[in-house]
Amino acid sequence: MKQGLWLLITILAVLTLQVTVLDYFRVAGVKPDLVLLVVIFNSFRQGSKNGALWGFAAGLLVDISTGGYFGLNALVLAASGYLGGEAKTGLYLNSGIRVTVVTLAVSMAAGVFQYLLLAFSGVFVSPWLALVGIIIPGAIYNTLVALLIKLFYHPKMLFD
Amino acid sequence: MSKKAGGRVVLLVLAVIIVLLMLKGTVLREVSSPSIEGALRDACAPIHKIFIAVGNWGKGALTFPLSLLASSRHVRELTEEVSELQGEVRKLEEFRLENERLKKMLDYQSSVVSYTYSPVTVAAVISRDPGNWFDTINLGKGSRQGIRTNMAVVVPEGLVGRVIKVSKNTAQALLITDPRSAVSGLVQQTRSPGLVEGTGGGAGGLRMINIPYDTVIHPDQVIVTAGAGSFFPKGLPIGKIKSSGSDPSGLFYTAVIQPFVDFNRLEEVYVVQKTSS
Repeated sequence: MKQGLWLLITILAVLTLQVTVLDYFRVAGVKPDLVLLVVIFNSFRQGSKNGALWGFAAGLLVDISTGGYFGLNALVLAASGYLGGEAKTGLYLNSGIRVTVVTLAVSMAAGVFQYLLLAFSGVFVSPWLALVGIIIPGAIYNTLVALLIKLFYHPKMLFD
Repeated sequence: MSKKAGGRVVLLVLAVIIVLLMLKGTVLREVSSPSIEGALRDACAPIHKIFIAVGNWGKGALTFPLSLLASSRHVRELTEEVSELQGEVRKLEEFRLENERLKKMLDYQSSVVSYTYSPVTVAAVISRDPGNWFDTINLGKGSRQGIRTNMAVVVPEGLVGRVIKVSKNTAQALLITDPRSAVSGLVQQTRSPGLVEGTGGGAGGLRMINIPYDTVIHPDQVIVTAGAGSFFPKGLPIGKIKSSGSDPSGLFYTAVIQPFVDFNRLEEVYVVQKTSS
């Protein structure tokens, strides 16, 4: 219960940062997705089922706050939480390389899934621009931020 | 698979289908009435304003030494530009007077309704879309300050977008770089029409499509809003042509546009209303 409350507060705080100051940290036109990172890190701890549920809840909050496409972020973050949880059970995740691989893969998958859902909703973005301009740079940026966060909590992880 | 697990899978599939239907049903609905999302935006607005103020202060503090160096160079460049522009203004004044004289001689009366705009309010940008796919901004003023849907949002450099959602104290604007945005534009020099679309992504991309093949277009030509039949007043600067080429059908040109506005650095914007005179 207490853990859930903290997670909810973290998601709300991160969402506030995401819609306000994070634009100052745009590199190559993209900014990191902190809500996605919280969902991935949470799924590492809680597994695929809870990871997906919390991802869905976090996504709903994003959808309500933006008011664009209800369900878009809920589905993407639920899938990301599920994938992150599956990676947790399949991999030992104390080393920096593994955090890198999983965050990169889940971010890429989330980007592709979001692209497909947008196409389903009738929003067309050129596939080349989506891949080269948004999905790949966004995933790399997410991975670098995830590594920084991991390094902050486990400074020795690079030598694991 | 057990009966219980099978039931869960069916429930999950149903839930996904319901969410997909909701997603399809909420595609960019433009609402001005109070909604959950509008109420939430209003409630979060004070917190967002604080975060934005802290962010602006932090950016200013970090970039202050660099901005000092840049400003001295800027002042030099501006001084040169001012003297050039003063000469240009004198020349234009000459043309204006000549134009007035000739109009009088011809007893000219414009038969075309010329569109212009009147400012409604200045609003601060309090938050933005959280992701990299869409370009929307939330403004710290709403219907109480006279903002309505489809009003144009501008800055001195040019067109920013249009208001798509309004609540009592906040409003949401769709930037012209958003992939869902389309603005009818004109090449200023040749008056060739076209449609300016957002290409999506945070890089602030624009392209102009459907430019007639019989016109001459080249880099640095200025694109402005066409005005008639659109939400936007006529003549607002959008950007300049970076490159161009034929579209796949070979019937039109397509041009990549470099916008005049830096969409990543918007702090205050003007909300304006199209009026006819």
